[in-house]
Amino acid sequence: MADRLLEVSNLRTYFYTEAGVVKAVDGISLDVSTSETVGLVGESGSGKSVTAQSILRIVPPPGRIVDGSIKFQGEDLLQKSEGEMRRFRGPKIAIVFQDPTSSLNPVHTVEKQLTDIITLHQHVSRTDATKKAQLLLERVGISEPEKRLKAYPHELSGGMKQRIAIARALSCEPSLLLADEPTTSLDVTIQAQVLEMLKQLQVEFEMSMVMITHDMGIVADLTERVTVAYAGKVMEAASTRDVFTNPKHPYTEALLKAVPSIKRTRTLEIIPGNIPNLIEPPSGCVFHPRCKYAKGICSREIPALEKVEDGHYVACHLWRELNLEGRAN
Amino acid sequence: MIPVFLGVAILTFMIGNAAGNPINLIRLGLRNPNPAVLDALRHYYHLDVPVYERFVFWLWDLLHGNLGVSISGRPVGSQIWSWAWTTMELQITSLILAIAIGIPIGVYSAKHQYSKADYVITSTAIFGFSMPTFWLGIILIIIFSYDLGWLPSSGASGISFAWWGNPFLDQIAHLILPVAVLTYVGLATIVRLVRANMLDVLRQDYILAARASGLSDRAVTYRYALRNAISPIITIIGLGFGASLAGAPATETTFSWPGLGYAFTQAASNLDIPLVQGITIVITIMVLVANLMTDIVYASLDPRVRID
Amino acid sequence: MNRLGVRGASQWSVAWRRFRRNKSGIIGGAIVLFFITIAIIGPSIAPYPPRSYAPLYQGDAGQPPSLKHPFGVEESGIDVYSEVLDGARNDLYVGLAASLLTTLIGVAIGALAGYFEGAVSEVLLGLTQIFFVFPALLLILLFARVFSVLVFKGLGLTLIVLILSFFGWSGVSLIIRGETLRVKEMEFVQAARSLGAGSMRILFRHIVPNILSPVIVIATLGIAGFILTEVAVSFLGFGDANTPTWGLLLNEGFPFIRTDWWVSLFPGLAVVVCVLGFNLMGDGLSDALNPRLRE
Repeated sequence: MADRLLEVSNLRTYFYTEAGVVKAVDGISLDVSTSETVGLVGESGSGKSVTAQSILRIVPPPGRIVDGSIKFQGEDLLQKSEGEMRRFRGPKIAIVFQDPTSSLNPVHTVEKQLTDIITLHQHVSRTDATKKAQLLLERVGISEPEKRLKAYPHELSGGMKQRIAIARALSCEPSLLLADEPTTSLDVTIQAQVLEMLKQLQVEFEMSMVMITHDMGIVADLTERVTVAYAGKVMEAASTRDVFTNPKHPYTEALLKAVPSIKRTRTLEIIPGNIPNLIEPPSGCVFHPRCKYAKGICSREIPALEKVEDGHYVACHLWRELNLEGRAN
Repeated sequence: MIPVFLGVAILTFMIGNAAGNPINLIRLGLRNPNPAVLDALRHYYHLDVPVYERFVFWLWDLLHGNLGVSISGRPVGSQIWSWAWTTMELQITSLILAIAIGIPIGVYSAKHQYSKADYVITSTAIFGFSMPTFWLGIILIIIFSYDLGWLPSSGASGISFAWWGNPFLDQIAHLILPVAVLTYVGLATIVRLVRANMLDVLRQDYILAARASGLSDRAVTYRYALRNAISPIITIIGLGFGASLAGAPATETTFSWPGLGYAFTQAASNLDIPLVQGITIVITIMVLVANLMTDIVYASLDPRVRID
Repeated sequence: MNRLGVRGASQWSVAWRRFRRNKSGIIGGAIVLFFITIAIIGPSIAPYPPRSYAPLYQGDAGQPPSLKHPFGVEESGIDVYSEVLDGARNDLYVGLAASLLTTLIGVAIGALAGYFEGAVSEVLLGLTQIFFVFPALLLILLFARVFSVLVFKGLGLTLIVLILSFFGWSGVSLIIRGETLRVKEMEFVQAARSLGAGSMRILFRHIVPNILSPVIVIATLGIAGFILTEVAVSFLGFGDANTPTWGLLLNEGFPFIRTDWWVSLFPGLAVVVCVLGFNLMGDGLSDALNPRLRE
């Protein structure tokens, strides 16, 4: 069994707002081994981004991690002081955000944004840092890197900006990369390029990756294992193949049905209803209001995470009875 | 800039001619100026030519520094210098203090949103720009000058520079109350602005990304967030300075501070038209210069607005 | 709630509910209502008529605050408490009227400048910018003085309102122009145009309703600003000497601040509380109408 790089257990992150307590992450567990890519899937509001922020402990107030443990290379990150955490951010764990327009600082040049981080964690001079930055830009496939270094974010295209954001995340060679919907705001053609690049970089840098997305297509392409989240809770966790061919949770089935396929002519099925109110979540199983298989028990009791077989877990009262449709491709 | 200057010039010229010509208006002020002075003014205003030519002559004189003679007989230009200096002494000191104190407080308030300190700060700030500047001055004078006798109540310097021992300290003693008042009001605006902008910026992804890169909280707040938040604030500070200059009459009158504002109030009261026009033009120029400098600072801070 | 028992979800009902929860906005609204009430009933409950020297004849001139004269008496014999009550309606009138006028002018010019392109827009923008940089208070004082000698009946509040508005509309116009530009680019405007709507229709049916929120806030905050300006103008002696206003009281009290502090304190407090009320209400409205997204 490969070493466990990251072990998130029963994480709970709540936001204490004027409108009430938003339970953004309410018992999510996740683990990643070395050189592995794990997918974290769900609609917006499922708690995926907040989970990533919690791992790095950069959850903005009024959010707070209230329960759980996050073990990285055996150490519990939640026990670390702020000063100790800063040494993890960048050299050990890094994050790429969804929208490069807002994740790159508009008033600093590309060079400054990259060299600031390099000089922070590594003892190199500014000139050496610039050279490293230039090399990084080359590795993420940016042409004319010397020119791009001097540019400001608003002068660059979306695809280029995201590559730079990725370069920034990789600048200190982290062991774990958290990719929060990295291609969602890019054009479709660029999406494919960036995903390919991420695959390559992962091998080159010997990194593990958590790929956060709502797109099952990306999951199929990049991940080895998947965790399906909804309203801050885990619905199902299994290897990618099992999730696709043998899903055990109605939500997973619904997500699969929502992905169009060229091969088969099939009507796209949408998932009816809206994401739930995280301040007052539905009773029992969080998904039951939108679940077409829901029965009485689903609205009364919260389903526990049960083992289907080795490496395959699901949180549903009815998983034994249901015969859900997977996808052969 | 030029159109604005012309606009003010035209307006000032026109109001001076509201009674047909400036001399008539002066007479209405019932100050009975010296006939010799009136003659000099008739000459200065070129009353023998039609209105539009008069304007050109007047503008020409203006641009060459000839601002005419006040009804007291003294040339306008020579007095304006020392008044301008005195006004600036007050305005610039207050501006610097307001910025130096206001920005850290605003940042602190934003970072500790909803805390008790934040609540106190925002309440004090909103009081600050709900009160007439000069009224605060009056109250402070009553308390500190008359009741406590700690500080002088008027003027920019005491008789024979007697306050606090030596001329330098005497000047400082006289500066304290007016500066305190102007600074407080300036603080109110700046603190609110900085707080609002910082709150916006701190929400942004690039701040989260900066934190995710391992930067310390202090570095993120000051080197990154503040740097992003500051640009729109600069513009408003510049405008506020202009407004403060324009509002000088009230503050200076309260403290009998011998600056442009105080002089203007007396002049307008006496319908001393040449003096009034001169001061208006000078203050307008000062406001325009302040705006220009603001624009320059703004462009240097925010690369998105640079003119190539 | 309409017939279906569903809470109205219109923009205004949402905003109203949000405003109700905003503490400072409610306090501000309460203060404003209080002063409006005073403005209406003030002269009726004041012990002395406006500008009356009656206390002088009662031997009470220059008295500090007492039960009989809660805010004290001026040296000239005028009862400060009555004057504050009488002045409320005048100050509020100036503030409200000037704000209303400047808002109307500012919205008209700003919207036109923002919506149209080319020469019209350039000229309007230029005009606005010119007026914006004017040292407002100076010119207001000057105009007030000149008009007070030229106009037969003396200055009068309405003339003051006009002068204040003449120098005050440009700020509103600039903001509205910005808002118009922002809304103009939105898709529903382009959709309207693609369905054949003409400029005027677009302006009035689509753009103006969408910039109403900032307009309301500006108008409310404007009242606060204009009251402050009027107080300054009257304090310096350039207002109407026959109409009781809080600024006039401050003007009369200034020569005596050494001895008769009450003449300076109470009218000033009235101004501060009243302006504070409008500022708080404006802030509350701003929060209610333009909510900041929270996590």
